[in-house]
Amino acid sequence: MTTLTLNNIEKTFGSGQNKVHALQDINFSTAAGEFNLILGPSGSGKSTLLTILGGLQTPTSGQVQINNQNIQDLSKKKRENLRLNEIGFVLQSYNLVPYLTVADQFTLVDQVKPKDNISKDDFESVIAELGIQDLMYQYPKELSGGQAQRVAIARALYANPSVLLADEPTAALDSDRVMQVGQLFQDIAKKQQRAVVTVTHDVRLKEYADHIYELVDGRITQVQ
Amino acid sequence: MFLAINEIKYDKVRYSLIIAVIGLISFLIFIISALALGLAHQNTAAIEKWHTQSALMTKDANGNMGQSLMQKSDIDKQNLTKSEALVGITPANVKADGDASRDSVQYIGLRDQDYIYQDLKLSSGHLPKNNHEVIIADTLDNFKLNDKIKIGLDDTSYKVVGITDDALYNMAPVVYGNLDNWAPIKGVTDQFKASGIISKNDTQLKAASDQLKAYNLKDYMNNLPGYQAQILTFTFMISFLILISLIVVTIFLYILTIQKLPNLAVLRAQGIPNRYLILNTFNETLLIMVISVAIGAGLTTLTAFFIPDAVPVYFDIPLMSLIAVGMLITGLLGALIPMRIISKIDPVTVIGG
Repeated sequence: MTTLTLNNIEKTFGSGQNKVHALQDINFSTAAGEFNLILGPSGSGKSTLLTILGGLQTPTSGQVQINNQNIQDLSKKKRENLRLNEIGFVLQSYNLVPYLTVADQFTLVDQVKPKDNISKDDFESVIAELGIQDLMYQYPKELSGGQAQRVAIARALYANPSVLLADEPTAALDSDRVMQVGQLFQDIAKKQQRAVVTVTHDVRLKEYADHIYELVDGRITQVQ
Repeated sequence: MFLAINEIKYDKVRYSLIIAVIGLISFLIFIISALALGLAHQNTAAIEKWHTQSALMTKDANGNMGQSLMQKSDIDKQNLTKSEALVGITPANVKADGDASRDSVQYIGLRDQDYIYQDLKLSSGHLPKNNHEVIIADTLDNFKLNDKIKIGLDDTSYKVVGITDDALYNMAPVVYGNLDNWAPIKGVTDQFKASGIISKNDTQLKAASDQLKAYNLKDYMNNLPGYQAQILTFTFMISFLILISLIVVTIFLYILTIQKLPNLAVLRAQGIPNRYLILNTFNETLLIMVISVAIGAGLTTLTAFFIPDAVPVYFDIPLMSLIAVGMLITGLLGALIPMRIISKIDPVTVIGG
């Protein structure tokens, strides 16, 4: 079973008087089937935490483990492979390649990862569930904010990752869409047995999460 | 190629403009190269036709065969072989008998036993059978077979008995005639028998007298009046155009890459390998350059059909192909900076933190 674990993570930027503790003493663990919500105000270290969870940067100290494998021990290329195969990212903006149609966003994944993507049936079911099956030949600029975000989620799931990381996925969405995304992330965790971690300051997602954490001044506390 | 093709298809206007600019630069490079070759050809067409490898002339002619005056004693010291020919070259005016208008030509006197005379290919007429018959270049279109003409300072009438093509020397059409007539046409005394010796031998001619000097083909051509300055001017123009195309390609690709950085950073975050994105930029550049150079070549071909005959252009396909390959390589060099930028993209920047 997929597990994502952070042990005693510290992340500092700068040195001397300019030293900033972005993350301090972070301990966090999640497994497949769980939807985790990490709430925090701007500047609390949410994005830094997400980049460390996704292997985009390494912590100053502590360990990041995915399926009991230390990310820090991996070469740059292996971390790249890990991101491609095991981690799906849904970001606030620039999620989609502007010059590719929705269908081609998935073809791009096939280009770099021809094997082990979700099956055709699963793909049909994902796009139907996300309600994007009629958008396949549209370009990102022709989509609304909500549609683009749903396509981004489908694109992140297409590579069949065991972990889905989302950074402020509801920032551009109205309340109805927020609820849809919340429900969707819950379904992705439960039905597709993936670990979902969302960092956000949007408290409207609380009701869908299995675990809720608060990140304040770089320190994390589990509140649910 | 997948990303490159889709990006170009999506952003048609932007890429069309880039391709148009590079295409026009390619066109300019091709046309200037053709012009440079054309002008060079007008200087050296006859020399090339003689399969010249080296030339011998008097030392004080300073490498200019038109200024060289060889005496019989000099010639006698050189044991001429079958692949060496005596020539008497002089600039002259040609006019038809009874006509005041004149054409500038290069009179080239030959001996009938020498290879240049024997290898002459005529488009019409026949080789001269006596001293007062000449062959003219087909570019002398004021004259035709059987015309009587006067050449240079000689009052004798010469009959045109043959026409040959591609006969140009130092920018002027050639009139071939007997070597014995060279001195009177040039207006020198008959103690001078020829201008020099042309050899098609791979081994360079050697001067048998200290009054003579041998030149290899390159030096011989470079000493033609105005030839080297002309070649250098065009070489500089072509080099600068290639340099400009390199700068243009680099600037275009740099701006395109900078504008795409956030998207590329997301792709990197999503695990799309660096080499895939770098290869995409390489392919995109290659595609832009191939289309641009093809457009440049197409425009050049089209221009070649409409260019007036008076414009001396010469399309040397192997050389043009080499220039096209050079353009492609130049474009790919222009992609180096954007490719380096892509290799340094930090995906964290797009997430923040």
